[in-house]
Amino acid sequence: MIKRYIALLTVLIVAFSCSSSDNGPSGNTDNFDRSTLLANIADNMAKPVFADLKAKLEDLKAKFDSFNTTPNTLTFSEVKTSWYEAYKVWQYAAIFEIGKAEELQFVNHFNIYPVTVADVDNNIATGTYDLNSTNFHDAQGFPALDYLFFGVAATEADIVAKYTTDANAANYRKYVYDVIAKMTDIATQISDDWNGSYRNDFVSNSGNTATSALNKFVNDFIFNYEKRLRANKFGIPVGNFSTTPLPEKVEAFYAKQYSRDLALESLSAVNGVFSGRAYGGTTSGASFQTYLNSLDKFNLATSITNQFESARTQINSLSPNLYEQINTNNQQALMAYDELQKAVVLLKVDMLQAFNISVDFVDADGD
Amino acid sequence: MKKVIIASLALASLSIVSCSDDDNIDSSVTAPQTYKFERNGSTSVSYSGQTTRIKMGEEFISALMDPTKTEAELDGMFAHVAGNNDFSDATLNSSDKSIRSKTAASRDYFSTNTAEATTLKAKFDTWIAAQVSEVFPNWNTLASEGVAGQIQEAGGGSTRYVSAKGLEYNQAINKGLIGALMVDQMLNNYLSTSVLDEVSNIADNNSDVLAVDKNYTTMEHKWDEAFGYLYGTDDAENPQYGADSFLSKYVARVENDADFAGISKEIYDAFKLGRAAIVAKNYDVRNEQADIIRNAVSKIIAIRVVYYLQQAKASLATDKAAAFHDLSEGFGFIQSLRFTRNTSTNTTHLPSAEIEGFLTTLMANNGFWDVTTNTLDDISTRIANVYGFTVAEAAN
Repeated sequence: MIKRYIALLTVLIVAFSCSSSDNGPSGNTDNFDRSTLLANIADNMAKPVFADLKAKLEDLKAKFDSFNTTPNTLTFSEVKTSWYEAYKVWQYAAIFEIGKAEELQFVNHFNIYPVTVADVDNNIATGTYDLNSTNFHDAQGFPALDYLFFGVAATEADIVAKYTTDANAANYRKYVYDVIAKMTDIATQISDDWNGSYRNDFVSNSGNTATSALNKFVNDFIFNYEKRLRANKFGIPVGNFSTTPLPEKVEAFYAKQYSRDLALESLSAVNGVFSGRAYGGTTSGASFQTYLNSLDKFNLATSITNQFESARTQINSLSPNLYEQINTNNQQALMAYDELQKAVVLLKVDMLQAFNISVDFVDADGD
Repeated sequence: MKKVIIASLALASLSIVSCSDDDNIDSSVTAPQTYKFERNGSTSVSYSGQTTRIKMGEEFISALMDPTKTEAELDGMFAHVAGNNDFSDATLNSSDKSIRSKTAASRDYFSTNTAEATTLKAKFDTWIAAQVSEVFPNWNTLASEGVAGQIQEAGGGSTRYVSAKGLEYNQAINKGLIGALMVDQMLNNYLSTSVLDEVSNIADNNSDVLAVDKNYTTMEHKWDEAFGYLYGTDDAENPQYGADSFLSKYVARVENDADFAGISKEIYDAFKLGRAAIVAKNYDVRNEQADIIRNAVSKIIAIRVVYYLQQAKASLATDKAAAFHDLSEGFGFIQSLRFTRNTSTNTTHLPSAEIEGFLTTLMANNGFWDVTTNTLDDISTRIANVYGFTVAEAAN
């Protein structure tokens, strides 16, 4: 009996003295097999995403072919729908800025906005331009098509006329084709690379150094979240980095009605990668979430998914047209930014600490 | 058997005590005589960005009293863009620093609260605009209830330039910035572990990895930047206080109140010891000093609110101009309460809504023209209670 009391009290003593060990190693050794996570990313996300992006861009070209054969508002609306479908897939692809995508600087050819309209107009007027030139990163990709399909003239009929009866119609058509071709070429090269040797390079590079696949990818993932989703889609247009709001800097500014939903698509993509969901599917595999769980960081994993949900709820409360939202009630848009920002610390500090991975980029906001 | 259990309990409590008792490690850090830190024979202290912002602030608040200024000129001084000729000092013009970008902009309070941050920044914009549109055109009009203009203190005293409600917008801006810029950046940004320890700062400081092309570690620099918001225009090694019109001046004022004498040394000593602790890589001591600074600086803001409201109370019936001047300073300091930090909760001492409520109450109806002494006492008592001093201590 006495012995049992002593044993109990000893346990208590140990338990108390353990309470100060929060700062030390957690005691959960990292036995997680990073290569299974990398394989899930490669096979169930990157590969199908780039295959889909390529297919959507090919569809866009086909729709633009049809429009040129039979130019009318019906065939033109199919072009625009196809553009939007491809733009949504881009939101997913943007996370994978690694390997060939990084080498080709794919973002520069897909989604630099706001588009510089003067450059697009001038390129079309002269008919001579090099889309590889850094001068024209902001005159191509989805933003250039946004302008050319939705903003190049006041009415839809006038926009269609640019490709049909305008004195420069041939150049307008050629520019659209060239922009689509550039994106298709890059998507194809990236897709081919994932289907070729890169997949195994990626999966087998499972160590923990600055150049290991997971170290790089998780940084890309966070960068995409912090910069492309949080800052570009919300922070900049709501005015968090300027003296006044800059609503004209929203994504898909000319199409107007898609800016919110593209942001939601981006958030879904982030959440899908975080939780290991196969692209376009419902099954899940090894992921950042299962990695955290394997380290007994269940609460952190839950906090992250809950925070994504809060951000989704807040974004959903906005007008589909973020330009209009910022002009009428910017507070509501700022609150969406705030919900997105709350996940940054969870991802960038807490999650990376758990994975023992360093951040390879820093915000430049110091003095 | 009982004895064994008691003995074990005693042992258990002993080990609880020893677990939580790490105060004795403090003695391992010794602060230097002054805020002077060197590496390889040259100083490792740097806070030029803070000095620049304080100097911008000085020119800005002077310009707020120049009725020939346009709103665009004042906005340019508040939200300076590098290269614009907003200031008389060329080095300020070439600087890429801006007051506005660091207004209500701390990591801890506003990085996930930009909705409120934007509202707070916009208040300053609104006060600037109102100074130009309401007060400047009435510079020579005599102010009265509901009429903006000038009003002179009794006995041939100073002339004050007030809104239709009696508020000096320049005072709201000046005293509001003490909280929104200096206090917020110091307490809730640079002294915060979220900034001091971000990215690889701890590892770098532990191994003396210096910032690129600098003579300091990033953590040392962050601490210095907190220091710079109070000492940026003062002598760091022999501070005189009152060196600028912002926090420095009001630390001096509170220090000169016998009830709070010693508070400036308390702050300075904590800055010194905290900086020495970073050099000694002792982050517990560092964090303790951060909390000492947070408590003292927060208290200074609250003391100044109560001081001005009580001063105003005394002259409200007999000398409106003097009372309005005190109330305007108090108004700005109330706004600054939004940025103080309670070290037990790591948030403000009072909820934002209550602080806003004070400001709304003071501006209700005809504002200072019909505010009552009861209102001033109610606000004073509430603030003194929350911040831990008495109205009487602050009032003189």
